[in-house]
Amino acid sequence: MIRAGVYVALTAVAAVVQVTWLSGFHPGGGGVDLLLLVVMSVGLLHGPEEGTLIGAGGGLLQDVVNGVPIGLGLGANLCAGFCAGIGEGRLYLEDIWLPALAGFALTLVRNAVWIGIGHLAGVVSVAPLAVARVVVLSACYNGVVAMPVFYWFRRMDRALERTFMRAR
Amino acid sequence: MPSNSLLRRRRVALFLVLCVVALAVLTAQLRAPDQRRLGWAGLAVEIVLAPITDAAAYVGNTLGGAWSALHEIGSLRTENARLAAEVAALRQENAGLRPAAQENDRLRALLGFKQQQPFATVAAAVIGRDPSQWFSSVLVDRGSRAGVRRNDPAVTADGLVGHVIEVGPGWSRVLLLLDPRSAVGIVVTRSREPGVAEGQGQPALRIRYLARDADVQPGDQIVTSGLGEIFPKNLVVGTVLGVSRGAGDMFQEAVVRPSADLFHLEELLIIVRGGFPTAQ
Repeated sequence: MIRAGVYVALTAVAAVVQVTWLSGFHPGGGGVDLLLLVVMSVGLLHGPEEGTLIGAGGGLLQDVVNGVPIGLGLGANLCAGFCAGIGEGRLYLEDIWLPALAGFALTLVRNAVWIGIGHLAGVVSVAPLAVARVVVLSACYNGVVAMPVFYWFRRMDRALERTFMRAR
Repeated sequence: MPSNSLLRRRRVALFLVLCVVALAVLTAQLRAPDQRRLGWAGLAVEIVLAPITDAAAYVGNTLGGAWSALHEIGSLRTENARLAAEVAALRQENAGLRPAAQENDRLRALLGFKQQQPFATVAAAVIGRDPSQWFSSVLVDRGSRAGVRRNDPAVTADGLVGHVIEVGPGWSRVLLLLDPRSAVGIVVTRSREPGVAEGQGQPALRIRYLARDADVQPGDQIVTSGLGEIFPKNLVVGTVLGVSRGAGDMFQEAVVRPSADLFHLEELLIIVRGGFPTAQ
């Protein structure tokens, strides 16, 4: 319960940081998606169920805060959370490059779903080349930022676990 | 203790159910006029997060200002090494005053524009921006308490910015002209040819439904037509960059650069409904 509360708070903080401090940071058109990295960390550490739920909640919050049609981020982030969760128990989490690769791959997944749903619903109409460039660039940025975010998140998660055990 | 296959099935079921929910919510959104309908829960979330966003934007602006000042000090040192401390201090002081002077210029222009307008307006500062690359909206620090209502137009001294799509007590969200959900009735100032300016998620607008033989040329100014009961007449929208027409097309299309700098908005004016002649 405490952990869920902390995750919800972290998701809200990531959404606010995204809309204020990171909204002006778009070198070359791409940008860092902090919320996706939080979803990735939860998925990798706790599996598909938590990844999907945090992805859905975070995506919904992102849609509300960003002013985009509601449902786009919800669908995209829950898919990203589910995919990250599939890696739990299968991937070696101590690998130093894992968060970078996961951040890169999940950005591709998240944006592919986002644009796919947007096209299906008729609310996104963008040129494929422009999309590819922006998405790959964003994936690179996310890959770089994913490493410190994931390791910080894992430390915090372990600290929460210890506190939880002590309270028992 | 559930078995592995049961657990796997439960996970997949949760995933599929949430996917269906996402699609259902999105489909419901498409029926709303701005392709976005925020329920009471969404509004509650925005009400809670708006002050936090406001505070974060303030902190970000302060830190950004300090960072740019530091950056400027570094470049001045390199540039004026032989002039030493006295000149550096003067430049530093100048650097500190420049943002204030720029802000003063912007506000002066906005005030001049406000005094020229026959509409009642509310000045608002931008506190948040949609970070996605394909949609364009900004969060401003004035809401229903200041008299702002849904569909109120937003402008700067340079021209039209967009219109309000969501309103909270102390904040509102302005849908910018560049957003694919935005459409504005316009006329070409020189020839009075009507059309519709649509956002395309890119830096330029597209004018559609211009008559096939319409007299539109690059450099022509575009203003609002006043049709549609959202935007008052004769607000400057932008300048035509180019016109295109296919051999079998019934209409011409034009690409227009918005007059207002929509990528660097810091302050804007919201034309409140009380001062909007067509809504009275």
